[in-house]
Amino acid sequence: MDEFEKRLKQDADALEAKVSPQLRSRIDASLRGTERGQAAGPEKRSTSRLWWASSLTGLAATIAVVVLVNMNRPDPAPVDTPVAEMPSVPDSPLDFPLIPPELDIQSAEFASPLEEELLNLQADIEKARNSVREDIDFTF
Amino acid sequence: MLTDEQLVEASLNGKATAFDELVDRYQGRLLRFLLTRSATYADAEDAIQDTFINAYRYLASFDSRWRFSTWIYRIALRNLARQKRPEWSESDETLIGADDPLQNCIDSSERDNVWVTARRLLSEEAYSAMWLRYVEDLSVKDISRALDKTQSWTKVTLLRGRRRLSVELAGGESPAAQRESYG
Repeated sequence: MDEFEKRLKQDADALEAKVSPQLRSRIDASLRGTERGQAAGPEKRSTSRLWWASSLTGLAATIAVVVLVNMNRPDPAPVDTPVAEMPSVPDSPLDFPLIPPELDIQSAEFASPLEEELLNLQADIEKARNSVREDIDFTF
Repeated sequence: MLTDEQLVEASLNGKATAFDELVDRYQGRLLRFLLTRSATYADAEDAIQDTFINAYRYLASFDSRWRFSTWIYRIALRNLARQKRPEWSESDETLIGADDPLQNCIDSSERDNVWVTARRLLSEEAYSAMWLRYVEDLSVKDISRALDKTQSWTKVTLLRGRRRLSVELAGGESPAAQRESYG
């Protein structure tokens, strides 16, 4: 125990706190008029045990029901799945119709600096998003 | 001489004088603690009376793995918490007045009692932790149980409380100690 701890102890001991006979009489009288709770601890534990027992019983019963239902259920009859008719695959690659799709290709022409173009694109995207949102609201 | 826990068992087995012995052992210690925490002497008396009544009523629920002192201080702290009393603060001097039970139980030559300083500087929980550690010699584990706090909280609070008091008693307060908060 260092000096600081000694001082804490000594200063606490220096506090005058004597229980007066009147206070002791009050305490004794209160205790005589107090009924003691009947073993609150063990009762709580037994209640807790009962809760566990009922929970475990319920769980076991649930598992048993699930097992019985699954055991008595007949196996599902095999279902014949119709096979989709697929077009025959041509043997030669030359049999494919070579029709090139028409692409609408436009070259990007930046008339303004890239940053400005980006802002314009973002504005277009926002407009498109608002338009879609309005359509959705109108539909639903 | 029977231990506190043996007296509890004897009381539960119907020995009427066993609880009286426990009251004899703890009445002075509890009153001293409660006087330093209550706003008035009457509040401290009410708190000690309620503490013994509750302890007697719920003695059957006492867990023998605890120390009896830990358990009864926990009850006392709960009774204190129920009392309506002014908040502690460093600037509030209303508690440190002529009617203050703590000042009244200090001899005039002991006006620099460290517990007066502790009550001014520390939070209620930090003060209780310090008292239980250095006056009642409770372990950190028991203090944690009594205050319903973690052991880490208790260790940190004790360390900070001790540091803050040491700085104050040394005549100054460091900026670091001022910044620390409690509770």
